[in-house]
Order: sequence, then structure tokens, then C-alpha cells
Amino acid sequence: MGDVALYHWEPNANSGKPMLTLMEKGVAFDSHYVDLLNFDQHRPDYLAINPQGTIPVMKHGDLVLTESTAIMEYVDEAFPGPKLMPDNPRDRWRIRWWMKFMDQWLAPSFSMIGWSVFVGPAVRSKDPEELKAAIERIPLPERRVAWRKAIYGLFGDDEMKESQRRVAVGIGMLEKALSKRTWLASDQYSLADANGFNLAYALPLSQPSLSNDALTPNIMRWLRSIYARPATKACWATGRTDMVKRVAILEQPHIGREHVP
Amino acid sequence: MSMTLYHGEPNGPSFTVLAALFEKGLQADLVRIDLAAGARHGLPCAQQAEVAMSVEGEGPVLVVDGEGMTDSVFIACYLDDVGNGAPLRPSGPYDRWETMAWCRQMIERTAPAAAFLGCKAHPPMADPRLLANVGSVDLRWRWEAIGAGVFADDMLADSRRKIAAAVEKIEAKLVGRDWLMGEFTIADLESYAWLAGMAGLVPKAYAGKVRTAAWMDRIKGRSAVGRALSLATVADPTAYWVPGPEINRWG
Repeated sequence: MGDVALYHWEPNANSGKPMLTLMEKGVAFDSHYVDLLNFDQHRPDYLAINPQGTIPVMKHGDLVLTESTAIMEYVDEAFPGPKLMPDNPRDRWRIRWWMKFMDQWLAPSFSMIGWSVFVGPAVRSKDPEELKAAIERIPLPERRVAWRKAIYGLFGDDEMKESQRRVAVGIGMLEKALSKRTWLASDQYSLADANGFNLAYALPLSQPSLSNDALTPNIMRWLRSIYARPATKACWATGRTDMVKRVAILEQPHIGREHVP
Repeated sequence: MSMTLYHGEPNGPSFTVLAALFEKGLQADLVRIDLAAGARHGLPCAQQAEVAMSVEGEGPVLVVDGEGMTDSVFIACYLDDVGNGAPLRPSGPYDRWETMAWCRQMIERTAPAAAFLGCKAHPPMADPRLLANVGSVDLRWRWEAIGAGVFADDMLADSRRKIAAAVEKIEAKLVGRDWLMGEFTIADLESYAWLAGMAGLVPKAYAGKVRTAAWMDRIKGRSAVGRALSLATVADPTAYWVPGPEINRWG
């Protein structure tokens, strides 16, 4: 194919951000699936590309890029296709603000809950010695701590409660922002929306008592609008796990309070 | 377009924004507020989401047409867009990516460590009436921990390691060049902003780092930076600290 290669996991969170951006821009790329649940990202061949062992990584010719949100801006600037950053400088500031807020404040809380209910249980059945060795291979100390907690179910009540508090606050902020404009941070579809969708696409399933058509109509409108885009459909169709297939909830025309289990 | 910049002493994020403003030759109404007293929470825009929930903690606020803008790197990008001076970001997409990725690591790993160590050494004294207005619950907890003198030993040690790692990275990056990205950029301002005050607190990290020391001198020698530093109302602005970004709670 061309000279762009993306090493990614599922269309979800950090991996999904550059995947969706590339697809929105119509940039063809060689897809290299890195199975997070098989610890592919900590194997020598992957560490040779990204010594930090984090996913995703993008190669463009001889260039190697990390940091998913910074990659999104690169993709928007380096390739033709629809512009995903508006011309207005204040809009660009707002888009960056929201991406940072989601990346650094909100997403870690979603992630902690997701790792507790999905990632940890998904790998826990592996051979204990294999898991121990896998943890030891992780280059970043904070990622070792994260994996240990997920694998052995070591999340404390206080930290889970705090994550749930932040998720509730974040949902309120998203709903309020989306009640003011069509898209999250500007009047046109932007990187902030692509970023936010990766965070929130399964919200009515993962947080049914906080997000549905009755409680958060603007979030639901926003999620459905993004999912209706051909690039989003194509991107999420590449998903292999049940976690990502939850996106199908957005095909339901109405998700009301009765949806709450 | 009129702009008002509410800023603290020229250290940390206030330094970045003041220096960027002057580098770009822009005019703004400059209003010094005592961030260390919690004065940001008394501003008319304090409860706007992008001010109240700024990940950066107690940083400056640029108000344009009533909208409060926070987070120093992104304010600097905005000033770079609207100002006329020399660009503060490279022109090529890859070099721009590197600048933003560098700043991301700086604000995610170095800034929380610096603010933590800075507040331990030079604790800010908040006005309780202003703290009652703090919109972010976790930011209020950081204020309360500082007020109570709670600084866990493991977090102090981890913060010192992160400062040392940042200085190592800068020293390595400066081989054969004057500025981190080759040309002078926001990455220089943001890195200096958080690390200038750490030399006295984590001296081992700076020992023998001759390129880093020379780079800091070059930054201080810039006229725009001198103008930003001249706004200090305290003898040593690098000893002025306020709660910054939180230390990563997950992964």
C-alpha cells in the first residue's frame, strides 16, 4: 500500500483516535493489529518501533510518531482531505482544550472502569507465570502498576468511586457543551469529536443510568451523528472484540430510561 | 479584538503565556492576580467549564470576547496564530507534531511533578473564601492537601525522578542545537517554565548538565522573556508555586 502504517489495537480510546482521523481524511494505511490482550505491545519487535510500549504508533515513510492526539493533528495537517481543525484560532484552542481534558482527566476514569470490567477479566485466564512475565516486560513503571491492578483485580473502592464521580461530572460537561453547539468544540466536525467518540461511543451501555435519550439528549444526538459518518462506520467495523461491538447500541433510534438494567 | 490576561508571577504556566504574548508582539490588558491565594476563583469567568476544570490547575486565564481560555500551551498556540511575530511553532507538520508531543509529555509528566515539589518547598497560602468557589473537586483536594502539609514520600521521590528524566531528555535534545526543536518554539518556553524553579530543589538533576544550563541562559537572554520576568513582584518568581496538574492517577 502507501507509505503510512498504523500499529493499533481496537477502534477504541487511543488506538481509535488516529484510525478514525486517517479514515476521515481518506488516507490509506497499512493496518498492523497489535493485540493488547496478548501483550503484543511489549514484545521486542514492537518495542523496536516504540520503546515505551504504548499503542498506537504511526509510521509515515521514515518518520515514527507516537502520542495519539498529537498524531491526530499531524494527520490533519500532513494529508489532503476534509479539514478537521477549523480556521478560527479560538476554535482550535477550544478543540485542544477538550482533547486534553478528555485525554488526561476524563479518559483515565473511563479506562480504569473499562480495564476493571473488560481488560482484566479478558486476560486473567492465561497461565499465571506467563502473566507475571508479561508484566515484567512492560517498560513504563506506571503501566506495570496499571496492568498488575487489572490482572489481579486490585482496584480500590476509593479509586473506583472517584472514577465514577469523574465520569458523571464529565458526562454533565459534555451534555452542557453539546447543548450549546452541534459539535463538541466548534461549529464544524473536528478532531475533538473524533477524540470524544472514542471515549464515549458505548456510553448508553456502560453508563445507562447517566446517559440515554431522556437524560442526555445532546450526547445521544452527537454520538449518533458521528456514528452515521461513513468513516466511523468503516472504522468500527474493523473491531474484533465484544467491547467495540457495543457501538451497535447507537443504531437504536431511542434509548430511554427503560434501558437502565 | 481586546484581550485580558489574568496572570500570576512569571513562573510555570503564567511564564509561558506572558513570554509567548511578548514574543508575538501582542497587546493585552495585563492583570496580575494572586494565584497562590486562589484569586482565579474570584474572576467573572471562573465558573466557565474551560476555566473551572482546566487540567493545568491554577494557571493564567486569557479572556477574549468574554470567553476564558486556559492551559498555557494551547493559549500559546492561540497567540502564535493571532500574533505577528516570528512563529512559535515550526512550519512542517512533522516538526509541529514533535513540538506538540514534547509539550504533551511536559504537561503530563513534568508539570505535575514540578508543581508538587514546588508547593512542598514554597506552599501557597489560599484565601479560604476564594477556595470555596473552586469548581473542580479534585483541585480543591490538592489545595487541601497542601494546606495540611500532606506530601507522600513516594510521590516526592517519583516527582524528583520525573524532573531528572526531563532534564536528561533536554540535555540529550540540545546536542548540536540551541533550541529544543532546532528553532525557538513553545516547547522551549513550556519546558523552561516548569524546570527553572527546580534547579534549587532537585540540584542533582542539573549537575553537569552544561547544555541545559546554557539553554536556560539563552532563554533568559531573550527580550520577550526579560519583559515577562520583569513583571515579577517577588524577589524570586521561580519560588512562586501554586497547585498544578494532578499526578497521573491511572496508567
